[in-house]
Amino acid sequence: MLPFSYAVRNLFRSRSRLLQTVGGSALVVLLVMASVAINTGMTRVLSASGSPHNVIFIGAGSEESVQRSEVPDSSAEIAQASIPGISEKLGVRAVSSEIHYMNHLEFADGSRAQALLRGVTPQALRVYPDLHVIEGTFPKAGEVMVGRLAWRKLGVPAEALKLGVRVKLDGQSLTVSGIFAAPGTVLESEIWGVLGDLRVLSKRETVSCVVVRLDDPAGFPDAELFAKQRLDLELSTLRESDYYFRLTQFFQPLRVMTWITAGLIAAGAVLGGINTLYAAIAPRVKEMAALQAIGYGRGALLASLMQESILACLTGALLASVVAVLLLDGVTVPFSIGAFTLEVGPEVAITGIFTGLLLGVIGTLPPAYRCLSPPLTVALRSA
Amino acid sequence: MNDNMIQCTGVSKSYRRGSTTVTPLEKLDLSVRRGEFLALMGPSGSGKTTLLNLLSGIDSPTEGSLVIAGNELARFSRRELTKWRSQHVGYIFQLYHLVPVLSAFENVELPLLLSPMSKKERHERVKSVLDLVGLGDRIHHTPSELSGGQEQRVAIARALVAAPPLLVADEPTGDLDRESARKILDLLRQLSREHGKTIVMVTHDPRAAEAADRTLHLEKGQLLEAA
Ligand SMILES: Nc1ncnc2c1ncn2[C@@H]1O[C@H](COP(=O)(O)OP(=O)(O)O)[C@@H](O)[C@H]1O
Ligand SMILES: [Mg+2]
Repeated sequence: MLPFSYAVRNLFRSRSRLLQTVGGSALVVLLVMASVAINTGMTRVLSASGSPHNVIFIGAGSEESVQRSEVPDSSAEIAQASIPGISEKLGVRAVSSEIHYMNHLEFADGSRAQALLRGVTPQALRVYPDLHVIEGTFPKAGEVMVGRLAWRKLGVPAEALKLGVRVKLDGQSLTVSGIFAAPGTVLESEIWGVLGDLRVLSKRETVSCVVVRLDDPAGFPDAELFAKQRLDLELSTLRESDYYFRLTQFFQPLRVMTWITAGLIAAGAVLGGINTLYAAIAPRVKEMAALQAIGYGRGALLASLMQESILACLTGALLASVVAVLLLDGVTVPFSIGAFTLEVGPEVAITGIFTGLLLGVIGTLPPAYRCLSPPLTVALRSA
Repeated sequence: MNDNMIQCTGVSKSYRRGSTTVTPLEKLDLSVRRGEFLALMGPSGSGKTTLLNLLSGIDSPTEGSLVIAGNELARFSRRELTKWRSQHVGYIFQLYHLVPVLSAFENVELPLLLSPMSKKERHERVKSVLDLVGLGDRIHHTPSELSGGQEQRVAIARALVAAPPLLVADEPTGDLDRESARKILDLLRQLSREHGKTIVMVTHDPRAAEAADRTLHLEKGQLLEAA
């Protein structure tokens, strides 16, 4: 075997080339890491948003869109009396009547942004036990509380949705009374108001859905049975986790796009990187030939070239990991129904390192072939 | 017969080049005794390098038999030939072909890394051949910091270090000034006389050939004894 120091010193033959290789590999690895982080982040937030304990009753035929769904106002009352196993605290059952409403919010400076609003009653807090008001209070009439990531989803500065700020919805002024957290879920990007207010603003007599929390997810068939027995209510039953799983499927094309975009940019960088590796290795035809004349096999030479490229590409991967931790980790990314936080965890890191490794291996093959495939006599007399 | 380091019988070598075939060596016979220093002359393109490549197992003949250091080379696979070469032949090139990123010492050490050997023994052997070629105190310099003559000394040390019985040298002084060339030739002669190395050296320079025991001319695929 050739000494490892041979591979290391070869790297420094040309500093500019080394920089190009390391930089190119860092770019590719960073893109791959970003894509993985975006994909896992989106999937994670959607799957965390739905609880298997929660059952959504939605208007039959409107399973695709909660906002368009119509559920009779009385459904919550009837459901809470009919379905066994609803979770209960201090005599209050976890049943939440909700209106989901998408419309433009107008801010003090006149700017507008489309927001997902949810009209709720205080019982909503029983259905979403992981949701907490972290600042201010639960809204009363004329007030709203905002998820702590709503500003990010709306693309406005955080101050635009501060406590005490007034916003306008359909000409109606509303005051921000509270800020809530629901860690890792899309709820954090929503704006919640009082059910009555939303009913007036959206000009409807019905609600969008009724959400019920069961003590045991296994009680779902009871909830389903209820919907079947009360045909007059025209309800369709969904597990909340299934609802969000379906959204995951819905966003599949978006995720594919992320990959394609990253893939195209990466392809450019890969070609550039392979090019610099080629420039670094191919002129060494004669040197490789001389080493073979001394008695080194082609396998040993290929191994040394691999060491050299992998070392450069892994350095790039390491650099990309540092950049990812500094620039990507913890960044909130908005998408149509919420926002999610990028997490540079082991999964992302391992994918990145693996990508670097792969780049090194693949990038070595063409120039190595160029160096090691010609017959020795030809290689020795090459210019 | 057993006294011969090299025994070529009816060796031909042709290369295809497009539709034509070039045959630099045709039915060539050559015997070189152990310890003999042979100079090989001939016009450019006459096949001198081709012959050295055959003798050192870098290339294989189209026809004929090559018995070098008692081994029939045709019997070896490519891999076996590579291993055989590392133990039996030291190749000295006109342009040295040292590895630019390694020091003189490290360049000479390269052939020894192919066989199991303690670091201590390896370093002693490298030092002793570097002493033998007279590189002096420049052993930790890289090739670019050495003169041509010094580079060729390093190359000779590298060819010697694994103690092969046969050295082949392709115009080893072709790129050197007269003084450096003379010193390299002295060194080669010393290796032949005092260390029993068999040497086949290609040269253009009749004065260089004088250093050898015997000179052969390669012309039209055949070897002729010098007049
Ligand atoms: N690998 C090869 N492929 C094709 N032709 C070759 C090859 N090696 C040598 N030749 C040809 O064989 C002839 C002899 O070359 P060479 O042995 O290098 O001559 P010399 O060393 O005497 O100058 C030349 O015509 C050369 O072009
Ligand atoms: Mg030649």
